[in-house]
Amino acid sequence: MKDTRRARINLGLLLAAALVLVTVDHRSGDRSPFGPFRGAGTTVFGVAERAGAGVVRPVGGFFEAMTGAFSARDRIEELKAENRRLKRDLMAQSLDRGRSEELRRLLGVAGTGGYRVLTAQVIARRGAPGFEEAVELDVGRGDGVRTEMTVLNADGLVGRVVRTGPSTSTVVLLSDAASAAGARLEGSNEIGVVHGVGESGRLVRFRLLDSTAPITVGHRIVSFGSHRGVPYVAGVPIGVIERVEATPGELTRIAYARPYADLTALDVVGVVVRAPERAPRDAVLPPSPPSGPRTADARRVRREGL
Amino acid sequence: MGRTVAFAVLVVVTMVAQVTVVNRLPLPGQAAPDLVLLAVVGYALARGALPGAVAGFATGLLSDVLPPVAHLFGHNALVFCVVGFVAGRAARGRPGAEPLVALACAAAGPMIAMATGALVGDPRSDPSVIMTALPPAVVYNLFAAPPVVWAVRRLVRGPEPQPLHLRGYVLRGRA
Repeated sequence: MKDTRRARINLGLLLAAALVLVTVDHRSGDRSPFGPFRGAGTTVFGVAERAGAGVVRPVGGFFEAMTGAFSARDRIEELKAENRRLKRDLMAQSLDRGRSEELRRLLGVAGTGGYRVLTAQVIARRGAPGFEEAVELDVGRGDGVRTEMTVLNADGLVGRVVRTGPSTSTVVLLSDAASAAGARLEGSNEIGVVHGVGESGRLVRFRLLDSTAPITVGHRIVSFGSHRGVPYVAGVPIGVIERVEATPGELTRIAYARPYADLTALDVVGVVVRAPERAPRDAVLPPSPPSGPRTADARRVRREGL
Repeated sequence: MGRTVAFAVLVVVTMVAQVTVVNRLPLPGQAAPDLVLLAVVGYALARGALPGAVAGFATGLLSDVLPPVAHLFGHNALVFCVVGFVAGRAARGRPGAEPLVALACAAAGPMIAMATGALVGDPRSDPSVIMTALPPAVVYNLFAAPPVVWAVRRLVRGPEPQPLHLRGYVLRGRA
């Protein structure tokens, strides 16, 4: 049994070492002494991942095609219908364009937020064993990316940059259980906090700070923005409320929202390297469905006294 | 020595493949098997408890700096170290139990990660996260365990010696 005792002592030493590392890293937070190790890892493995991502992209594409083959037919039909609808809308829009340009100038805000966005591609993703929701982008310090920058895609908010390497950067997604983003109910200005719930990006938890404020299914939430746009710029669409939880007697209300951005299948995203001078509020939200709450535009005009 | 180096190379390649390919496959349940954990289990089955623990610790530390990383430094080292030791210890002197040990360790890995996360107050070890994220991770690990553990164990230990009684049986059949 001599061998086992030696093994046990060594195991104890290793476990103690790991616990010390975890504790030191946990206690020191951002000023962690292990920052240089992580920096070195980002530099070395970032290059490997960049090289690897180019080679393996077709593999992922193949699997996606295989798993999506059954639903592809429905999808084609759906897209055809959408195409028809969009064509019709386009015709109607060209008639309205002249009028809308004038209105836009009147309001003094562009229809979109006015962010300066750097496009990037997702090259790696984390999951188990840490259950963290983090991805690696193929842009880094050399491209002007800094930590605590907002990451979004064409549909909505994705996450924030937590670490940058020379040519890659790490992004913690909105769906990560340890991430928290300030959010605001569309129109009513009620503020709350969005947390991930570990459902791999299908839902996020929205904690409304005012328990008496009205909140219903179909309400939309946008990012509240933080001081100087760090880490989240204001006015980026986050998602639609899908379920409201009854929490009688509590100080806050909890609702679950479906994010606009598909956080499970991220590919091309944008890093906001410069926030707009003025918060765009609801202007970036997609048009309201007819059955949803009152449109953002109507309320926005009212708020600005026009 | 050569086989240990081969294992080290395999682990690094597996780690990069894990984050660039496996984690991004659109699998049902939005989870993926943890091939690095399974590789550690295979190594521990071939070499024993102490080498398994050391290999797990080293592999975990490397995994803790592999981007993208958002967990605490040393977390994976702790998990892989425990799993490596348990796998090597449980299978010692019981070659018949190896498949069972491999499956048990594959299932235990994500649970140990959750438990240690809860110890340091990681918000990812929330009950709601455990309910939704843990079951698919365990299931995928169980599915991937037999081929991966077998392949790594074979790489580390070399091909199995042919069992004697089988050879005798074949010879007798020919005669």
